[in-house]
Amino acid sequence: MRNFFRGIIRASSFFRKEIFEILRQPRLVATLVVGPFLILFIFGIGYRAQGRTLRMLFVTQPDSPIAAQDIQQYAETLGAQFIYAGVTGNQTEALDQLQRGQVDLVMVEPGEITSTLQNNQQAVLTLYHHEIDPVQVSYITYLGWLFAGQVNQQVLRSFVAQGQTDAVDVHTSLQAAHQNVSALRLAVQSGDEVLAKQKQQGLAGNVDAVSTAVGASLLLLDSVQHTQGANGINTDPVKSTLADLRQNTNQLSDTPGSSNEQLARLDKIDQDLTDLDGKLAQFQSIDPSIIVSPFRSETKSVANIQPSISDFFAPAVLALLLQHLAVTFAALSIVRERNVGTMELFRVSPLSAMEALFGKFISYMLFGGVIAAILSALLVFALHMPMLGNWWNFTLVIAAVLFTSLGIGFVISIVSQTDSQAVQYSMIVLLASVFFSGFIMSLDMLWEPVRVISWLLPTTYGTLLLRDIALRGADPNWALLGGLIAIGLVLMLISWRLMRRLIASSQ
Amino acid sequence: MEEAAPVEPSELQPVQIRDSVISANHLTKKFGDEIAVQDVSFDVPRASIFGFIGPSGSGKTTTVRLLTGVYTPTDGQATVLDCSPAKFSQSDRSRLGYMPQLFVLYPNLTVWENLNFAASLYGMSVFRGKRLKEILTFVELDEHRSKLARNISGGMLRRLSLAATLVHDPELLFLDEPTAGIDPVLRRKFWDHFRELKNQGRTIFITTQYVSEADNCDLVGVQNKGKLLLVDTPQGIRHHAYGGDMVDFRTTEPFDFQAEAQLRSLSFVRAKTVRTGPNSMRIIVDQAGTATPELMGWAQQQNIQVQAVEEYMPSFEDVFVELVRPEVSHA
Repeated sequence: MRNFFRGIIRASSFFRKEIFEILRQPRLVATLVVGPFLILFIFGIGYRAQGRTLRMLFVTQPDSPIAAQDIQQYAETLGAQFIYAGVTGNQTEALDQLQRGQVDLVMVEPGEITSTLQNNQQAVLTLYHHEIDPVQVSYITYLGWLFAGQVNQQVLRSFVAQGQTDAVDVHTSLQAAHQNVSALRLAVQSGDEVLAKQKQQGLAGNVDAVSTAVGASLLLLDSVQHTQGANGINTDPVKSTLADLRQNTNQLSDTPGSSNEQLARLDKIDQDLTDLDGKLAQFQSIDPSIIVSPFRSETKSVANIQPSISDFFAPAVLALLLQHLAVTFAALSIVRERNVGTMELFRVSPLSAMEALFGKFISYMLFGGVIAAILSALLVFALHMPMLGNWWNFTLVIAAVLFTSLGIGFVISIVSQTDSQAVQYSMIVLLASVFFSGFIMSLDMLWEPVRVISWLLPTTYGTLLLRDIALRGADPNWALLGGLIAIGLVLMLISWRLMRRLIASSQ
Repeated sequence: MEEAAPVEPSELQPVQIRDSVISANHLTKKFGDEIAVQDVSFDVPRASIFGFIGPSGSGKTTTVRLLTGVYTPTDGQATVLDCSPAKFSQSDRSRLGYMPQLFVLYPNLTVWENLNFAASLYGMSVFRGKRLKEILTFVELDEHRSKLARNISGGMLRRLSLAATLVHDPELLFLDEPTAGIDPVLRRKFWDHFRELKNQGRTIFITTQYVSEADNCDLVGVQNKGKLLLVDTPQGIRHHAYGGDMVDFRTTEPFDFQAEAQLRSLSFVRAKTVRTGPNSMRIIVDQAGTATPELMGWAQQQNIQVQAVEEYMPSFEDVFVELVRPEVSHA
């Protein structure tokens, strides 16, 4: 028992020593607290959730059917990410401007569009840029794709608008057909075969005109309904109605039948004409943009809140900072004592490796915990980071992150020969955390074998767990938390064995 | 007349000590091909000051590390407090005090905090404030207790290191060059402290480059190039270095060559005798105590008027040079 208490006293020597040493560096403490807070604060007010705007210069072909003024009007409808920079017919000069950085993009209109389309090929809108950043190149490629889509939609809109204008003529033909059906019905009822024959021919002409004109317009509407799977039963109503109409009209002349049969056919023809008229009216009433782009997407989250970008990054920053703090402090603590010769004093004294590690561990846990508490309070109360979950769970995760990070730091400290080596190792851990912990990009974007590195880093676990607790209000994923603590235990065991070899054994 | 022969380690007979606290027996330490300590044997009696003297790089610190268990010997063995240093228990270590060559405590802690840290390392009770104050008073640092270690002088740092070594009241102290780089006044204070500690019954194993400090020790080991040249009392070391005691012989009148030759031929006079002036000689004799009356008698027989016959105590710098000279000439 006496030895136990002496062991506690020996461990406490490190606890006091480390705390005093840290407190003697108030600037360091202030930097640790204020630094990350300021970074998040500035990031929060400085972040703009929009893509980069690009100055785009258009190059038209000598035989272009499009006027420069139309291009400008057209370009201005493409979205805020494009700034219209003018139109030129000189592609070389445009590319020179791109090289000089006077514009960001050059869009070259394809030549001989009509003949290209007639050859069953797509006309290519070429988008030149001067970027080397792969992310920017992807962004520009996406914008190019978006631009081509916009152009295609514009073309289709014009086409639909023309169809709606042409539908007036169809409507006139349908009215004439209706009148011929009424007259034909009277002629059949009165037995005037000559008049019936005459009206029958007129009706056939009207049906031919409607069939021809309606194809370009109502079939478009029909396609939209087909895409939707309208009603799930009649997937091709316009085409079917037109076929019925033509068949019934032809049968009036080819196999007239009795008067009653003729009147029944006329009722059916009248019905089909009314249907077509109704669809035509519906087609004319729809905005061409809706017909061309019948669908749009809307995203709705079932999460409790939709955090801002700085809210989203705040837990990750907290986890990364605590890991870096713990790794760096622990990494420097033992290597420094070895270099200045204090370790020799420990070797001669009754101090054990466990007592030294335990004392240091408790002091850094306490210090890291205080820093974490201050930072968390600042994040929640000053930057208004949502905190939907349980504070105890949040604290538990922070303790686990600190515990495992200290394990990494102690191992670094024992295997390092110099301070600068320990700092280098700490920086490598930091760099690995920035790239592999999901801090910058989602873990899903990493090749699976590479994710092994991610799962060795406390920041990975800390980021996922703290986000779940703070932003989703969820309980921690206990498997993740257990994994993090297990890594910490293994590291502590390794540290203890290395430290024991360093302190207890002789050379 | 014979000159003192070079001392070979194998010829050294360890001083026979009954109650030895440290016993080194053919200790050897090699680092790769380099031999840091070679075949070192000696004993340190309880409640004594054992001075381990030698130039920089002679293997003093390595020997201390072998004795404190920091290093394992390549060959030979050591017993410290009746235990092999490699097998020290926590309890054994609590009986040791170790002051390294350099200040190895913490510059960002105050004098008091550093001392408190050292006390905790040895598991001293939490009610140790009185002891800390006592020890700070002992090394005259009590009024500087609140100063950061980085803000105190080099001498104060050495005193703080000494205080940290003594705070847990060890019975055996290893002090590795405690007086290196400090002024003579402070050095004298340190030696006063060491004598006081010895009088309290503690054993002190102390290394130093200052050979003059050998006079303060009860026993002195002279180390050079990893080899222990000699272990003896300070007086014994002098005696060994010159092949006997030194006596300054001065006459009122100059004496001639014939008288000098007669004096050199006396049976108790050794070969290293030198003429130091027209009427003075430094004579090496077996024992200064018995040689003095014999010299007086011889002078009376020769009708030589003697001005003075007195024992000469050469400085330890001279003694050390004399001891290592054969090593240098051999090299």
